Amino acid sequence: MTETIGIWIAAFLTLCMFSFLYKDNPFYKFAEHLFVGVSMGYYIPYTYYNAFIPYAYEPLFLKKEYILIIPFIIGFLYWFRFSSKYSWVSRYPIAFSMGMVGMGVPMNMHANVLVQMRTMMLPLNSINIILIFVGTISILLYFFFSKAHKGVYGKFTSIGVWFMMVGFGASFGYTVMARISLLIGRIQFLLGDWLGLIK
Amino acid sequence: MKFADRIQKVDRRIIYVILLLAVVLPLVFRLGFKTYTTTPVEDLYRHIDAAAGRDDMSILMDFTHDPGVLPELYPMDLAILRHCFERNIKVFTISFLPQGAAIIQMALSEVKEDYPNIEANVDYCNFGFKPWSLKLPIMLGMGDDIAEAVETNSEGLKLENLPIMQNMKNYDNIQVVVEISGSSMGQFWVTYARAKFGVDVAVGLTAVMAADVYPFLQTGQFIGSLGGLKGAAEYEQLVDIFAMNGEEFSKKKARNMSWVEAQYKELPELAQLYKYSKARIGMDAQAIVHVLIIIFIILGNIGYFLDKREQKKNM
Repeated sequence: MTETIGIWIAAFLTLCMFSFLYKDNPFYKFAEHLFVGVSMGYYIPYTYYNAFIPYAYEPLFLKKEYILIIPFIIGFLYWFRFSSKYSWVSRYPIAFSMGMVGMGVPMNMHANVLVQMRTMMLPLNSINIILIFVGTISILLYFFFSKAHKGVYGKFTSIGVWFMMVGFGASFGYTVMARISLLIGRIQFLLGDWLGLIK
Repeated sequence: MKFADRIQKVDRRIIYVILLLAVVLPLVFRLGFKTYTTTPVEDLYRHIDAAAGRDDMSILMDFTHDPGVLPELYPMDLAILRHCFERNIKVFTISFLPQGAAIIQMALSEVKEDYPNIEANVDYCNFGFKPWSLKLPIMLGMGDDIAEAVETNSEGLKLENLPIMQNMKNYDNIQVVVEISGSSMGQFWVTYARAKFGVDVAVGLTAVMAADVYPFLQTGQFIGSLGGLKGAAEYEQLVDIFAMNGEEFSKKKARNMSWVEAQYKELPELAQLYKYSKARIGMDAQAIVHVLIIIFIILGNIGYFLDKREQKKNM
């Protein structure tokens, strides 16, 4: 019974959202505001019971792991953001977080730059590698603005534009697919779970 | 009004209705278009399948997605879990998003109802929700000791006491980490877990991000990927034709469409359930809509050029 009620509510809210395609209306506004409220309402207590209680309250106050006072205090300093007079205090935990980012720099360099560059340094023995080589060089040169894009150099950089256009086209095609997939998912829900037309 | 003007000024609501019909009709009257599998999906299937029947190997699924992307990613969740349960592959699940934890529960219970012999904490273990701020410590800690880094499962039980953990120590016992993601594209796993511990990483992504993955596939930093509904449909098919029929994976067979069709004729009843073919059925509608969009683009361009020619004439 509860599942049926849930399906009817979900179907009603889905139709409310779709009603925007005709024009803006109170049903759409209602569903939109409800979504924001429910998301926050779900997120806050869930995080409280699954993050704050097991990882801060229980170890510190029940298991007496007093070493956790240090990160607890650092985290607590974030709350000073709400005070106009003492908001500067919140910069300390931010600085601490930035230090964590610094820790990731060498690994980021390795994964996102060095390993990726390695493929550019392979022997040009297949059509794919030649295409990648030409594409990368021509795009890099396109974004080199200290030389006028004229003559042979200009023609070569325009190849980079073509490569980028192909890339944008692929991304756009995938984006269309993603958006249509979401529509298909909702229609599958309406026709299947709600109306029972597809099984 | 001339033809050029008319197709330039079609009411958007008419386009929406046509689009709706293009989605609804293929879903109600199934067209059964063929699904052709691609290398990134086949590689992921093969990689996961290599852990079949082993007590000292598992896969880790990271559910980094919320309900907003379920139509694309949920069929992947189900297909991978079904593959693992069918082939006796140990699975760990984790989410660093509160919404992801609920999706894990939903996916596990949906697949588990068809596999009554599969036991929690023996054949699979749900680590549940872990706060995002602990992602890095957990990810790095798992390189030394999974039970120590993750501590408890979703029911609050200590991992070290669970039967599934008997032969599982660290990333050496993780065949592949699969991040099913609505946004982060497995970057954390590649940057930290792969770079430091060499664990294999794969991703299941929304189609919006699928194109961005190819440079990482090319360098082998991702061993495979599932891109959007299409990726999910391909994986569903591989599970159907190989895992469900007790066949070993073969790329040659996967691409032989007459063999694939023959396999579908012998498919067990379980594999024919609607929930396990949602992505493949959805791709029928997807194909029709793509054709429709191409027609719209062509018509729009014809209208544009006719209009331009008309304007030149009048000048």
